[in-house]
Amino acid sequence: MSAGTSSDAPVGPPDPADPVGRADQTDQTDQTDQTDQTDQTDQTDPAGPAGPPAPAGRPGSAAPAPTAVRAVRPRRRPPGTATLARLALLTVGIVVAVLPFAWMLRTAIGPAQSALALDSNPIPSRVQFHSFDQAWHAGDLGSALLTGVGVSLAILALQLATAVPAAYAFACLRFRGRTALFAVVLATLLVPAQVTAVPNYVTISALGFADTRVGLVLPFMTHAGMIFMLRQYMSTIPASVLDAARMDGLSTWRTLRSIIVPLAAPAIASVSVFSFLLSYNEYLWPLLVARSPGIATPPLALARLLSDSSAIIPDFAELTAAALIISLPSLAVFVVAQRRLAAGITGTGAGA
Amino acid sequence: MSGVGGGRVRWRVGALLAPAFVGLGLFVIGPALVSAFIAGTDKTLTGPHFGWVGTANARTAFSDDDLGGAVRNTLVYCLITVIPAVAGGLALALAAERVAHGRALVRFALFLPVSANIVAMAVVFAYMFDSSPDGFANTVVGLFGVAPVDWLGDTSTALPVVALVGGWRLTSFVFVVYLAGLTAIPRSVYEAADVDGIRGFARLRHITLPLLAPTTVFLGVFVTILTLQTFETVAVLTKGGPLNSSTTIIYYIYEVGFTGSFRIGYASMIALLLLVVIVALGAGGALLGRRFRRAREAVA
Repeated sequence: MSAGTSSDAPVGPPDPADPVGRADQTDQTDQTDQTDQTDQTDQTDPAGPAGPPAPAGRPGSAAPAPTAVRAVRPRRRPPGTATLARLALLTVGIVVAVLPFAWMLRTAIGPAQSALALDSNPIPSRVQFHSFDQAWHAGDLGSALLTGVGVSLAILALQLATAVPAAYAFACLRFRGRTALFAVVLATLLVPAQVTAVPNYVTISALGFADTRVGLVLPFMTHAGMIFMLRQYMSTIPASVLDAARMDGLSTWRTLRSIIVPLAAPAIASVSVFSFLLSYNEYLWPLLVARSPGIATPPLALARLLSDSSAIIPDFAELTAAALIISLPSLAVFVVAQRRLAAGITGTGAGA
Repeated sequence: MSGVGGGRVRWRVGALLAPAFVGLGLFVIGPALVSAFIAGTDKTLTGPHFGWVGTANARTAFSDDDLGGAVRNTLVYCLITVIPAVAGGLALALAAERVAHGRALVRFALFLPVSANIVAMAVVFAYMFDSSPDGFANTVVGLFGVAPVDWLGDTSTALPVVALVGGWRLTSFVFVVYLAGLTAIPRSVYEAADVDGIRGFARLRHITLPLLAPTTVFLGVFVTILTLQTFETVAVLTKGGPLNSSTTIIYYIYEVGFTGSFRIGYASMIALLLLVVIVALGAGGALLGRRFRRAREAVA
């Protein structure tokens, strides 16, 4: 959002009476370039004396002059100390965030590595792609990927089918017990999966779905978090829109389908991304239910590859190759939907 | 707002809510109640017969040294992941918010750990922290003259390494949420602050951080609850070992209920006690959050 501001600022009509715009721009760009910042500082200084007119518009505000001086002074320190600190912090953060991924890739394409002969050179001594082939077959990863993606998509479809109507009712309709029922929905968020795992296992077995893909999907058929996030977003839809729909004689179902769902599309998209990532990475439930290797989900297939191989000496090239392969679907979804994730959090109020 | 009351509306509301409540009832609420019942029995997963034992499981729990160890491990794990993750995520979000060039790339890199498959990353970390002197971590500490460490095989380092994996991922999650919180602060607030000459550190301290307070409360509670439920990293990296030095509460529940003698009655009791703690945390967080939200509305 501030990206828009920073690019808009220089283009916008120059307003000499408004030092705020420029000062704001300084904030946006000051870490880009040392010289740039000095320029900005020089510009801000003349704006300092020009500052008082602005507080004059707000008679009740704090004494302007001393505050302004105090605020300007830090900018006269050797330029960019704070900027350098910020850049250093970001660099460290990025290196730490990316390093395990880089190491995963580097190990997977390096020569086969056992625990007896590790190789910690940043550049592998020779590059090979044999490990991918080996991991693909040893872990039956093709079948695992299909199961993982299929199960995650089925869960997503069920969750949308159950959560969208419920969120609509909670956000847009008035009925008795609404607050209490919504509180019940929220309370279910606090129940850890391990509490429900045992009874769910019994239920799924009784229904005959133990060790089946249906058994992997069914317990996740609805998600309180999704109802909550969608409801938060739908609450922002103006009442006038709903009133207009009612005036036009739209049924509840038609209103949901042709008004609410299109308007809530951004929120629906972001909860879908969350849902997919959560389901695809789920570990505990598949561990309990998917006993036969044929329906292992990707994390399970990888964990089994790891525990099988640790009996002998693990081949880390093969294991990291498998880790890389099973990470691909969630990484792909993530790359495509990166902006949605942040937007989804903002829209729900969790971020504010 | 549409719908005022009456039978037809109630019927429609019922139709809209039914699918969600069937799902929640069958797979969350019902099981939670069943679990609370099982917690009072000596049921095992394999045996067909079981009886009511009342509070015996709870008394066992309070005198169970292994559970005590798991609680201690979980608290240590929380302490060394939650605080650095929230502080680090906040610092990174503040730093990244103002990046003008390469913003997309910076965010992409810092979002990566959140999207990672935790089992896959655990495998990678297991390799980086291999006990061999040529392992990545040992090579790094070797540069400082430290002798090779058996990271995952030593009772004093296993838990911190597991926590490092969890903290690595949590920091990225905290970063995402704080970044969204920062974006949600209206520019007009900053503009007004600027007019009053509040900039730099003063602005951070008196404007940004107070406005982020609800986010901080949400994150503190949510991240703590997530951390209390740590399972995957332990299951993949150490299986609770060596000598239970990295067994967390949830992993202990898994061990008690789903391995060995499958004592799911006792496992349910531990889970129930954990649920009480989590609900208390959640309720406390909700109250605190409401207070800050109100304060925030007063400011903005």
